[in-house]
Amino acid sequence: MTAVHSGLKPHRSRRRTQLRDVFSRWTFVAPAALLLIAVLAYPLLYTLQISFSDFDLATFAPSDWVGAKNYEDVMHDENFANSLTVTGVYLVLALPLQIVLGFGIAFLLNAEWRGRGIIRALFLVPMVVAPVVSGGMWKMLLDPLWGVVSWVLGLFGVAPIDWFGDAGMAMISIVIIDTWRSVPFVVLIAAAALLALPRDVFEAAAVDGANWWQTLKSISLPMLAPIIAATFVVRWLGAVKMFDVIVATTNGGPGQATNVVNLYIYRQAFQLLEFSTSSAMAIIVLVLTMVLTFVFLWGSKKLEDRL
Amino acid sequence: MSAVDTRAAVGAARSTTRRPRRRAGGHAFRIWSGVIACALFLFPIAWMLLTSFKQQRDIFTIPPTIFFDPTIAQYIDVLTRGGFAGQMVNTVIVAVGSSALSLIAGAMAGYALARLKLRGAGTIGALILASRGVPPIALAVPMFLVARNLGITDTHITLILAYCSFVIPYVMWLMRGFFLALPKELEESAMLDGCSRMGAFFRIILPISIPGLLSTFIFSIVLAWEELLFALVLTNRNATTFPVAIAGMAGDTENGANWGALAAAGMVTVVPVVILVLLVQKWLIRGLAEGATKG
Repeated sequence: MTAVHSGLKPHRSRRRTQLRDVFSRWTFVAPAALLLIAVLAYPLLYTLQISFSDFDLATFAPSDWVGAKNYEDVMHDENFANSLTVTGVYLVLALPLQIVLGFGIAFLLNAEWRGRGIIRALFLVPMVVAPVVSGGMWKMLLDPLWGVVSWVLGLFGVAPIDWFGDAGMAMISIVIIDTWRSVPFVVLIAAAALLALPRDVFEAAAVDGANWWQTLKSISLPMLAPIIAATFVVRWLGAVKMFDVIVATTNGGPGQATNVVNLYIYRQAFQLLEFSTSSAMAIIVLVLTMVLTFVFLWGSKKLEDRL
Repeated sequence: MSAVDTRAAVGAARSTTRRPRRRAGGHAFRIWSGVIACALFLFPIAWMLLTSFKQQRDIFTIPPTIFFDPTIAQYIDVLTRGGFAGQMVNTVIVAVGSSALSLIAGAMAGYALARLKLRGAGTIGALILASRGVPPIALAVPMFLVARNLGITDTHITLILAYCSFVIPYVMWLMRGFFLALPKELEESAMLDGCSRMGAFFRIILPISIPGLLSTFIFSIVLAWEELLFALVLTNRNATTFPVAIAGMAGDTENGANWGALAAAGMVTVVPVVILVLLVQKWLIRGLAEGATKG
C-alpha cells in the first residue's frame, strides 16, 4: 500500500486527498446532523411557528400569524402560572435533597472493602426502573390502608397518612419517589469523583490533626465542588422533564397540587387540542430552562474559578 | 478527565489505601450504613417482586404477609391478556431500533467531534449540550401533527425516529468521551498504511471501542425503554409501548388498581434491563460518570 502511494505525483495527490479528507470528515457528521434536524430542529421551529399562529383544527395546521397573542393568553392563564409554581416547588424540594443524600451515601460507600463493588452495582437497579413503573410501585407501597409503608409507620404509632390524597403530602410523595429514582445516579457520579481525589492531601490533613468535619469542609467539598455543580446541572435537566411519575401516581391532583408544567401543557395540547397556546407555553418553558441552565453553568464556572 | 486518567487515578488511590486503618470503628460504621442505604433503596423492588408472586388474598392483608403460597398466576394473566405481551415486543423493537440508529449516527459524529478538526465543532458540541435542555413537550406537538398529516402515527418507525431526538445527543457525547481517551497513533498509523479515514474508523477504531459502544448502547436502550410522553402522543394501538400500559394500570382508580397484575407487569419490564445493566455495569458506571462530569 505504502509503495503505491509514494509512486504518485506528490502535488496532485495531496490536493485530491485533502479534498477527499474534508468530504469524509463531514460524512461522519452527516447522518446525525440529518436525523437531528428532522426530529429536533425542525419540530422546535414548527412549535415556534404554531406558537405565533392561529391553529386550524379542520386542516390540523397553523393558519394565520397572530403575533404574540397566544403568549398574552398564556400570561393570563392562572393554571399555567400554578403549574410553573408547582414545578418550581418540586425542583426546590427535590434537587438539594438528592444531591446531599447522593453525596452522603457515596461518602459512606467510599470505605475500602470487598463488597463495595456489589453494592455499587446494586445501586444501579433503581435507576433502570421505568419512571411509570416506580410510580405504580410506590402507589402500592404508600397505600394508606394496605401499603407496607403505612404498616411499618403504624408500628411506630404513626397514624395512616393519605400520601396521594392530601395536597401537601402528594407533593412530598412525588419528591420521595423521584428521590428514590435519582439518588443512585448521584451516588455513582459522586463515588467516581471521590475515587479520583488525590489521597496525599487527606493524609497531610490527617497528619496536621484535622478532624473529620474540617477535612470535609476545607478539603473534600472544595475539591468536589465542580463535580457537585455538574451533577446538579445534569439532575436539573432531568428533573425539569418530570412527567411520567406524576401520570402514574397523582395525575396532577389532588386539585392542581402536583400538576407540573409538562403535564399541564400535555393536557392543553392533546386533550383540549389547544395547540397554539400549548406551543407558546412549551416555548416559554424551553426558554426558562435554557436561561436557568446557562445561569447554573455560569455559576459553577465562577465557583470553579474561585476555588 | 479522560478514561485513562481516571483509571490511573483509581489505581493510585487503591495502592495507597491498602494500609492499616486507624479508625477501625468508623470503617465498620461506614460499611454498615452503606449496606443499609442500599437495602433501603432495593426494598421497594423486592416488595414488588414479592407482591407479583402473591395471590389476590395475600396482597391485601395487614400485617403484610412475607411467607405465602407463591403463584405465577399474575404473570400468566398479565402476559396473556390485554395485549401487554405485544406492548413489550413493541418496546423492545422501538428501544433497540432507536438505539441502533442512534449508535451508528452518534458514534460517527462523536468521533468527528473528538478527532477531526471540523470548523464549528465547538458550536456543534454546545448545541448538543443545549439539546439536553429541550423539554420533550416542546417537540411533542409538531411530531404529532407531522405524523398525523403524513399518516404515520402508531407505527414503530415513527417512534424510533422520535426517540432519536433525545438518544443521539447522549450517544454523541458519551462516544466523544470514549474516543478522546483513545491514543491518536491508532488511526494515524492505519491511515499511513493507506486506510481512508472512514476505513480507519470502521476497521481500527470501532473494534477497539466495543466496550464503549456496548455500554452506550445499553444506556440508550434504558433511555428509550422508559419513555412515556412520545409513546402517549404518537401511538394508540399497534405500536404502543409498555409505559403507556403501566400508566393506565397504575392510574386506574375507578376499578381499584390491580396490584398483583401491576407488580407482575412491573417486574417483566424491570428484569430485562437489570440483567443487561449488570452485565455491563463496570463500563456503564464509567461511561455515566464521564458523561455527567464532562456534560
